[in-house]
Amino acid sequence: MDTISFPDVTQLAVPIFIAAILGEFLWIALKGRGGRYETRDAVTSLIMGAGSVASGILLGFIAWGFFMVLWEITPLDLGTSIGVIILCFVLDDLRYYWVHRFGHRIRWVWASHVNHHSSQHYNLTTALRQTWTGTFTFMMVVRAPLVLLGFHPALVLFVGGINLVYQFWIHTEAIGKMPRWFEAVMNTPSHHRAHHGRNPRYLDCNYAGVFIIWDKMFGTFVPEQDSDPVDYGLVYNIATFNPLRVAFHEWVAIYQDVTQPGLSLKERLLYALAPPGYSHDGSRDTSETIKAKHLARQPQDSGTPGF
Amino acid sequence: MPLELLLILVVGGISAIALLLHLSGRSKSKVMTEPQARDAWMRQFPESPIADLTLARDGHAAVIRTADDSAPLGLVWSFGTDTVARFLEDAKLSPCKKGLHLRLADFSAPAVHLHLDQPEAMLWQGMIEGASAPQSHPQNHPPVQEV
Repeated sequence: MDTISFPDVTQLAVPIFIAAILGEFLWIALKGRGGRYETRDAVTSLIMGAGSVASGILLGFIAWGFFMVLWEITPLDLGTSIGVIILCFVLDDLRYYWVHRFGHRIRWVWASHVNHHSSQHYNLTTALRQTWTGTFTFMMVVRAPLVLLGFHPALVLFVGGINLVYQFWIHTEAIGKMPRWFEAVMNTPSHHRAHHGRNPRYLDCNYAGVFIIWDKMFGTFVPEQDSDPVDYGLVYNIATFNPLRVAFHEWVAIYQDVTQPGLSLKERLLYALAPPGYSHDGSRDTSETIKAKHLARQPQDSGTPGF
Repeated sequence: MPLELLLILVVGGISAIALLLHLSGRSKSKVMTEPQARDAWMRQFPESPIADLTLARDGHAAVIRTADDSAPLGLVWSFGTDTVARFLEDAKLSPCKKGLHLRLADFSAPAVHLHLDQPEAMLWQGMIEGASAPQSHPQNHPPVQEV
């Protein structure tokens, strides 16, 4: 069983990604609706995507080594039947939900994930604006239970790849809403647009990868509202197309915060591990305070989705 | 997939998409009207209402004086087809051929080129250098980004 292998679906999907981006762009150009493209923004996203693949090639051995150690330890082996692959896919999607949620609620993990949200555009290139520094978040530990339960590391990475490929197509404004049953169960362009919103309403919602049911189960689901069009990007948008700055800006910010003089050890740790927006003197806003301030300005939004 | 093929696909794909976008006019920067510049500022800093706004003639940037007299000047500028905004704390200003060059103490917004003709550049330089930056204002601390 140790020698089984699965295709690297994210690499195999590269030609499809390119064709789909061209297709989406032509659709927008011909129809005059369904999204926006900007040269430097798109190129930055694509370079981030290429860098993410390169990072995986260079650093992937760390996670793989970790998983293989676990595989040696576990006495369980569920094999690779179709049923096991489907079960692994569903459980891995639950794993994705929590890693993604941690990615928005723990600044150390957010530092890696922030670049995916750093574009003010929302098109298929945004899907490829991926992290270069995921290995350093140590979120590979969230996959450990899957391996210990007897899912082979190659299978776990395979279904994780399918999960990422699925998420590509939902990064578009060209698709409005899918059929109601699909919207109820699956993550869709509409649900994920809300996730990319910097509007107070949409902060910290819709973490799903493939199945939106996890958000509904864990109370983080916010449907996209026609009355509150999604404003894409970060609460505090970056002003650079430089991929190095995009990839590392939050790590630099953490370093600057953690090393500022006069802080206690606890405060230094909180700057790295607390939710984004934490500050020792309360001078910054977290998503909670942003929502509260919004409701102070717009009390009529109280009780509506996201508030 | 062989690494060589992947490399060709990635480099070729990025180049083709970049060329297509550029040739179809997707490289233009946003030109703001005064109301748009106001909206762009308030989009970033909804708690810092504008007292006074000076829009560059080319519509690519605007200097903001907020209602809070103790706050430093702010700047909103075109970023591709979108906008960004910052308070001008610890900004280093230097004249350049096409106007002014601003270096900001912000890794995620390192510099801004302001395209201004000479009289306009002198006016903006006077405004920015003449503004006194206070020692403490909540917005002086770059807020950590959250989505």
